[in-house]
Amino acid sequence: MPTTDVNSPMVSSAAGPTAGQPVLRARGVRKTYRLGRVNVPVLRGVDLDVGAGEMLAILGKSGSGKSTLLHLMGGLDRADADGGGEIAFDGRSIRSMSARELNDYRCSTIGFVFQFYHLLPELTVLNNVCLAAMVRWGRLGYSSRRAGIEARASELLEAFGLGGRLKHRPAELSGGERQRVAIARALINEPRVLLADEPTGNLDRATGSQILDLLAEHQRRTGLTMVLVTHDNEVAARAGRSVRLVDGVVAV
Amino acid sequence: MYHAVLTRTYLTTKVMPLLAALAVMLCAAMVLIVWSVMGGFLVKLLESGRATSGDVKITFPNQGFAHYDELVKMLEADTAFVAAAAPIIETAGLVSLPDDRLEIATIRGVDAASYSRVIDLPGMLHWKPLDTPVPKDTLGRDPRLDPELREKMARAFENGLTMTRPDPISGKPVPAMISGIEMTGLSFRQFGGWYEFRPQFVNAIGKTLPDGSVTWINGFMPDKFLTLRLLPIDSEGRVVEMASLTLPVANEHRTGVFELDKRMILVPLAELQAKLKMDESRGVAARDPYDPDAPATVARTIPARVTTVVVRAKPGVSPDELRSRAEAVYARWEADHRGRVPSASLMKANSLIRTWKMEQQQIVDAVENEIGMVVMLLTFISFTASFLILAIFWAMVSEKTKDVGILRAIGASRLGVAWVWVRYGLAIGILGSTLGLTLAYLIVTNINEIHDWLGANLGIVIWKPNVYYFAEIPRKINPLHAGFVFAGGIAMSLIGAVVPAWRAATMDPVRALRFE
Repeated sequence: MPTTDVNSPMVSSAAGPTAGQPVLRARGVRKTYRLGRVNVPVLRGVDLDVGAGEMLAILGKSGSGKSTLLHLMGGLDRADADGGGEIAFDGRSIRSMSARELNDYRCSTIGFVFQFYHLLPELTVLNNVCLAAMVRWGRLGYSSRRAGIEARASELLEAFGLGGRLKHRPAELSGGERQRVAIARALINEPRVLLADEPTGNLDRATGSQILDLLAEHQRRTGLTMVLVTHDNEVAARAGRSVRLVDGVVAV
Repeated sequence: MYHAVLTRTYLTTKVMPLLAALAVMLCAAMVLIVWSVMGGFLVKLLESGRATSGDVKITFPNQGFAHYDELVKMLEADTAFVAAAAPIIETAGLVSLPDDRLEIATIRGVDAASYSRVIDLPGMLHWKPLDTPVPKDTLGRDPRLDPELREKMARAFENGLTMTRPDPISGKPVPAMISGIEMTGLSFRQFGGWYEFRPQFVNAIGKTLPDGSVTWINGFMPDKFLTLRLLPIDSEGRVVEMASLTLPVANEHRTGVFELDKRMILVPLAELQAKLKMDESRGVAARDPYDPDAPATVARTIPARVTTVVVRAKPGVSPDELRSRAEAVYARWEADHRGRVPSASLMKANSLIRTWKMEQQQIVDAVENEIGMVVMLLTFISFTASFLILAIFWAMVSEKTKDVGILRAIGASRLGVAWVWVRYGLAIGILGSTLGLTLAYLIVTNINEIHDWLGANLGIVIWKPNVYYFAEIPRKINPLHAGFVFAGGIAMSLIGAVVPAWRAATMDPVRALRFE
């Protein structure tokens, strides 16, 4: 099985970080899906570094594997078992993490934002945001920190212009508002990396722009590492750096 | 924490889980109602048996045993366990009924005074004045309520308590018997569970006379006589000549146990002892032929015998505890009369010191088996609720696939996702079982009223007092049974929830997030 040294120097200038030390590093990442009897390779050896505090856009057409790469970086999915390469966070291979460590990684280190918001329709805005903290801290931990967590959730929602919508349900919100709730949920546990999959893909241009402003502002203020996946050049242009994924590899 | 929030949210915002809880409720209620009614039937049977036969019986059948007075005294001296004890004779015989039928009867010789201390004799007596009708006698047609019959009823009750009846000529009380209310056919059990003897209300029974004509013999049994045919057996077990005993009837008894009410006759102990040659007898030595004034000397005394001693327990003492105690007392008593009374080891080996439940083991076992079978069948039927929950949960997990993906994306473990659904099943189980128990309680405690309403309005009559013998459907819930049903309802829900929970836990989060 070919091995990849995740600490080796950058193999592509297009994939290298422009700011800070790499916090996420992908080397030779391959992912193949099986559709019936056919193997469909989606990622064919991606090398990519994401620097700490960087706002990186991964640009690519539909089916180029950009969302898959995001899922792999976020520990939601695993690269091919045989020759699938490595993804490391702070130098530690995600593949080497136990299931429990991987859950903690998704919960505390990563924050996901999805194109279709993925809020729980029965929960209020506040509970949707706090849900990630509930998962992180467990019953006792959450109960003892409840006031602080809810204050932070309210603060985030307030900052995102949703201060008056805490008790509303997602169905009562517009698309942009829902995405802002999803961003607040992703940020509630103060992750080190925010992974956003087409965060404006389901929004009109003006609302999408507002969401990007909001993310950029937060990134500027907190220095949060962000990876945005998009097919839109204009969105990618808002990031500090962008890489293009073509046919499952980072285009040089 | 998120488990609790999601369980509460899913439970309060969805209709499907409430339907599942409803299914659990109905199953739990169904099982508990049937179990309560059938269990109540058994309890009633046992209680009736204990009320008429005491908690423990010490029996040496037919031949009986002597020195029973001492045994009674020793038993009653054990005041921590024994409330009272009484000697009786139990034997089989034939009874000649008013219509000339000869029926096999269980004849019980009792001393009214001592027997009343062990058995609720006043409660057993059927004919007595009543002020309020029995529950099913809604029109108050029970003859015991009839003011014109009040004096007759009061007299029969008094006679029953003393087991005597005034001689019509001398007016002096003479020994009388108490027959079972189902025995003679003169007292007709009515639909409401009460008895009627008045000729204007019941079909007459009659007997054929030698000339071919028929004489009608309806009427009040405590006005009549009965004749018993007995088979005396001496202390050695030998059959002596047949004996016949005709006595007036003082009253009729109703114990609540059909077999006893059909077969059992209570006869004064002294009368029965005498007829069965079980009374004390003295052998007289020949007089001195040379001294005509010399008194006769008693050469040998054979003490009186009874076949049984019935014992009543002190409140709080179980029949089984009393039985162990009675065995110990019997062993001490036997040691005092070694060789002249049945040995303690023999009594123990043959279970001749036994509780009412042991004595009626066959019928008790049969009823218990029936209950077990019905409850088991209903439990199996109730498992359909498990599949209902499984189907509902399966559909809900499908509907909530995206939620599963979201939870996994924000760090929830597989076990955590599974626990959301298991917990949800648990909540439905608790809710359904609680509602089921409440429903069962409401139905069981009002079952007779509901039954009456169904009968009056829809013509549905399931429990017929004249068939089932107890006038009312038992209406007690056994807390232990309720506990089992509660736990069963929860288990059923958990079983239904486990497979969908496993499905949710093993979902690929990426696919779950892409689910449309």
